[in-house]
Amino acid sequence: MIGRISAKYALRSLGRHPRRTILSILGVGIGVAIGIAATSWIRGGAEMQIRAVSESGTGHLRIVPRGWSAERDITLRLAGGQDTARMVAAFPGVANAAPRSRVNGLLAFGNRNAGVEIVGVRPEVERRANRIVYKSKIEGRYLRPDDRGRVVIGRTIADRLRVELEDDLYVTLAGADGVRGAMLRITGILATGVRDLDATVCHVTLDTLKEISGYTGTGDISILLDDHRRIEETRRELALLLDQAEVLTWKEVNPGIAANVDGDRGFIRAMVGVIIMVVGLGIISAQLTAVMERRREMAVLTALGMKAGQVIGLVVIEALAVALGGAAVALVLGGTASYWLAVRGFNLQALMGPDFTFGDVLLDPYIYGDFGPWIIAYALVLSVAATVAASLYPAWIAARLQPADALRM
Amino acid sequence: MRPGTIDSLISSRQLTKVYTTGKVETPALRGVDLEVRAGEFTAIVGPSGSGKTTLLNLIGALDSATGGELVVLGRNVGTMSRRERADMRLRELGFVFQAYNLVPVLTALENVEFVLELQGVGDARRRRAREVIEQLGLTPLAGRRPGELSGGQQQRVAVARAVASLPRLVLADEPTANLDGENAEVLLQMMHDLNREHHITFIFSTHDPRVITHAGRVVTLVDGRVAENTER
Repeated sequence: MIGRISAKYALRSLGRHPRRTILSILGVGIGVAIGIAATSWIRGGAEMQIRAVSESGTGHLRIVPRGWSAERDITLRLAGGQDTARMVAAFPGVANAAPRSRVNGLLAFGNRNAGVEIVGVRPEVERRANRIVYKSKIEGRYLRPDDRGRVVIGRTIADRLRVELEDDLYVTLAGADGVRGAMLRITGILATGVRDLDATVCHVTLDTLKEISGYTGTGDISILLDDHRRIEETRRELALLLDQAEVLTWKEVNPGIAANVDGDRGFIRAMVGVIIMVVGLGIISAQLTAVMERRREMAVLTALGMKAGQVIGLVVIEALAVALGGAAVALVLGGTASYWLAVRGFNLQALMGPDFTFGDVLLDPYIYGDFGPWIIAYALVLSVAATVAASLYPAWIAARLQPADALRM
Repeated sequence: MRPGTIDSLISSRQLTKVYTTGKVETPALRGVDLEVRAGEFTAIVGPSGSGKTTLLNLIGALDSATGGELVVLGRNVGTMSRRERADMRLRELGFVFQAYNLVPVLTALENVEFVLELQGVGDARRRRAREVIEQLGLTPLAGRRPGELSGGQQQRVAVARAVASLPRLVLADEPTANLDGENAEVLLQMMHDLNREHHITFIFSTHDPRVITHAGRVVTLVDGRVAENTER
């Protein structure tokens, strides 16, 4: 056990070489601050991607017919889809439940055509739940609940087909009973600002899709939660209520984005790991020097009866003091950087150009860092863990000093 | 006579110590037979390189003998674990070094208190440290760090540290070597008083004739052997 005088000894020993101590504290502080800023950035980036993917139609959770996952067959329908959507919309923590149905089709105008996934939507929900709708510029208007035979298409499709508002498109699609054809009047042309994404948008009302395809019922229900951290909990609760359906997370629906988020996190963790390792080596070097300079003193303490565990304790207390100083520096530097990132954000357009999509997900051009109480715990845990771990080798060396050998010096 | 019998505090038989540096072997002790009884004030004298410090290191369980047998305070030092040796040093031995070896970042009082803290003495340790400091006339120096003390003052604090826990045995390696005549005399008188009043056994290594005049027994080492063992 380390007592009051031992602690005094350890802490005052740091004052013997103030410059070395300050440099050690700065080394730990700057390393951990980089870790905080990088983690803030990546957490913000992950948050943005999760928000983007969930608000781009995937939802935080998606209820699909049982068996959908195996082949992603869009012709499968949920039993009692509308009732399920109403039940889910009233579920605690659910912000929106958007029922959708999908068929593959071919839009044609004159001698031009474009292959699309035609999505049947409930317009009043889609306007709130789908950023591809509410963040885009719309020429004309978006769908209304009572719109029959009307379609909203993306700007890229409109350009490709050379069509305008109120033009009639001929749609050929794989219906329930074979190939079908129908006419759809363009009520709105939607522009996200991203050409690739605008090539995928083709919305009709659920009733229209049912009429033209012959498929009845709802294909899936995308759910947006108030708090994405409750995804797993809500999924478990919903799964208990739904026998004939699967409840998938956004990661399962959109594994590409999930892999991207995980990859970013992994990269940052590895980067922080390398930084902390380098800082740790610096701490080992500084503490080893401090221990070797005090060999004789340590030997005297050992001669007086100090046990190996107490010697280790002394060195670890010194490291702990450096760690706490480092954590304070990290909080000031890393906290400031994270706060700046959280408030001002970082505009990716300057680096990557104007197109921010990942598959059919509309990403935000700005990444805002994550700033919160986690930074305090992060700074403390990382500083203390790295510094104390780095101090163990010098402590072990100190504990192994033979008093007679050191006193002979 | 078997070592460690009667009332002997220290007993050695054919004690040897050889230092090895690479392939070079340097014998420091070549078969030392020694008995020291409880309460004695013993000086170990001899020329440089005669093995005085080595013998003190072995008695103090700071080092291991190469051969022979050494019993200190009834325990065979050669068979003790590292932890047991540390425990014996902490609880039953006191050390005074030639170079004082006080902890420079602690005050005189804290240096004394430190050893008591290592021993696990609780709330009473500060009081005990103050008592010792006072007994040895060091109260005005209690709040000073070693760098602010003279050599003589530092060595008196070192003695206070060594005797704070009233050990059975104090080992002092050339304690007066760096002191002038007046300070050496004060220190020796202090140790003599502790020896008489608290029955603490003192063993010194020394070249100093002043120390020898205070000693009740003088052991002379020459070339790692006991050349003379005189009780006075």
